[in-house]
Amino acid sequence: MIEFKKLSKSYDGKTNVVDRLDMTINDGELVVLIGESGCGKTTTMKMINRLIEPTGGEILIDGKNIMEMNPIQLRRNIGYVIQKVGLMPHMSVGDNIELVAYLKNWDKQKRRARSRELLKLVNLDPDQYIDRYPNELSGGQQQRVGVARALAVNPDIILMDEPFSAVDPMTRETLQEELIKLQSEVKKTIVFVTHDMDEALKLGDKIAVMQGGKIIQYDSPEKILKEPVNDFVEYFVGKDRLWKSPEMLYARDIMQKRPAVVLEHRTPAYALEVMRKRDTDFLVVVDAPYDQPQKMLGVVTPKELKGKGMVENNRMIDIMRKDYPTVTERTSMVNVLNIMKQEGLNYIPVIEEGSNLLTGLITHGSIVNIITDALVDSEVGKEAL
Amino acid sequence: MDRPNFFEFFMSRLSDVISQTVTHLQITGLAVFLAVLIGVPIGIYITRNKVVARNVLGVANILQTLPSLALFGLMIPLMGIGFNLAVFVLFLYALLPIIKNTYTGIVGVDDSMIESGRGMGMTNAQLLRMVQIPLALPVIMAGIRIATVINIGTATIAALIGAGGLGSFIFRGISMGNNNLILTGAIPAAILALVVDWILGLIEYRITPKGVRK
Ligand SMILES: Nc1ncnc2c1ncn2[C@@H]1O[C@H](COP(=O)(O)OP(=O)(O)OP(=O)(O)O)[C@@H](O)[C@H]1O
Ligand SMILES: [Mg+2]
Repeated sequence: MIEFKKLSKSYDGKTNVVDRLDMTINDGELVVLIGESGCGKTTTMKMINRLIEPTGGEILIDGKNIMEMNPIQLRRNIGYVIQKVGLMPHMSVGDNIELVAYLKNWDKQKRRARSRELLKLVNLDPDQYIDRYPNELSGGQQQRVGVARALAVNPDIILMDEPFSAVDPMTRETLQEELIKLQSEVKKTIVFVTHDMDEALKLGDKIAVMQGGKIIQYDSPEKILKEPVNDFVEYFVGKDRLWKSPEMLYARDIMQKRPAVVLEHRTPAYALEVMRKRDTDFLVVVDAPYDQPQKMLGVVTPKELKGKGMVENNRMIDIMRKDYPTVTERTSMVNVLNIMKQEGLNYIPVIEEGSNLLTGLITHGSIVNIITDALVDSEVGKEAL
Repeated sequence: MDRPNFFEFFMSRLSDVISQTVTHLQITGLAVFLAVLIGVPIGIYITRNKVVARNVLGVANILQTLPSLALFGLMIPLMGIGFNLAVFVLFLYALLPIIKNTYTGIVGVDDSMIESGRGMGMTNAQLLRMVQIPLALPVIMAGIRIATVINIGTATIAALIGAGGLGSFIFRGISMGNNNLILTGAIPAAILALVVDWILGLIEYRITPKGVRK
């Protein structure tokens, strides 16, 4: 576990480029630091292996203050991958991977065996690559070797500073996928710095959005997407982002929160009036007014109100349709759309999981609205470029 | 004049030429050797401090611009004449290219190498030995090569202060008006410079780490 306690860094003694950060990174989590250029990501990260010394606050690793550790030993026990890869050009791939093991005095055979194992882990054939020099590798291959090197002595913590930003987009995606797979096998505590929100959402167990040396929001990718704490985060995430990850969208994200309802004891005439007022032809019949929890009892549409429905003495409870399909807040959007399509529905009520309490309503209209928002946003985005 | 018989003239003095060539090489070799011994550590040391670096390189630059004759003249009262003085003056001349190239070579090592080395937990000494020096070696070697070649030329002047070397033919030839004698010193000196340059070039290539050879 890595803990920041009021961690600060100032280069000039006046302004804090990292400003009193409090943050906890749990074991086995991949935490992404993201933010605009100059917001202090690299500085924050380099304080973890003491390449930069804090000017205020402290960092604890497993409860121990790193300032009380020997920096050389500390660094040998923390994997480190940088954007420019930083492979030693005068050393073969094998020697590069084995460097930390060498510094830690492992014997040669053990080192070699380990570097072969690691090459396999990062999908490079040891026989083919172990004796090559870095300038005989592609950018993507170099970065794989960089990752292998960081894993060499099996450290618990790995720091990665924009490791994939210098490779082309296709390679980047491959490397990201490989990292996800790798992480599922090795379960390291990884601090990963990036500029790229797509990358952050894809890789992060948690994302820390930084601005001006402060962490603005530290949350799961889903929360960052759906509940940005302020305009900056929202802008940084990009409104259309959600649409690039539809699997993260649930019924509650697309529903209208205050659907038109009618109480169970109302008359058909009253229901018609509500429909006209709310400009809809779909009402949810509930047992309580808006200011209380409303249990959904059924629905009425003009079909139920027609003919006998219009008889004066009828109450909603008598004429409503009772077996109408519903979804819960956590039904994924894809499923919602499937149900609506299969059942030929224009509306579907959303209820709380485990109870019948009405929380919202999804209509074709609400879906169209969200899509339009996203499209308009991305169009505006493009023009702004 | 006697140009037609230069070859005969030269062959008749071959043993003399050989022994002076050896002396010539000894003077330059020893001077460069000492300059490497002192200059490389200085070059490395000054990478740690910009101000010191500027001052050291400045002094070495000034030494370089002093005419060699003047430098010999200045030093005679301190060291007397002869072999030692010649070696010392040539040593001073070799110092600048060696310090400068060592400094540039080390400073020129890509920051990302230093950063990843430190990040992996190298001590300063390990960083120097395993990263900075190997990567700077071609540049340092180029400095040694320049220093040597310049010194082979300058060493001819050492004959003036009685240190011997191929320059003795040249200066005797000048004072006697004997062109054959001048050429007997000048031609081997030129060939020597070329050959040494070529050999050092080979060495430079060989010590350039495989992964960074062009
Ligand atoms: N060695 C230094 N001396 C003085 N100021 C520095 C130094 N290193 C970084 N800074 C400043 O500190 C701030 C944070 O830098 P940092 O490198 O942490 O940013 P970053 O978030 O990693 O940016 P990027 O995304 O561009 O890499 C910047 O304003 C930068 O100019
Ligand atoms: Mg950075």
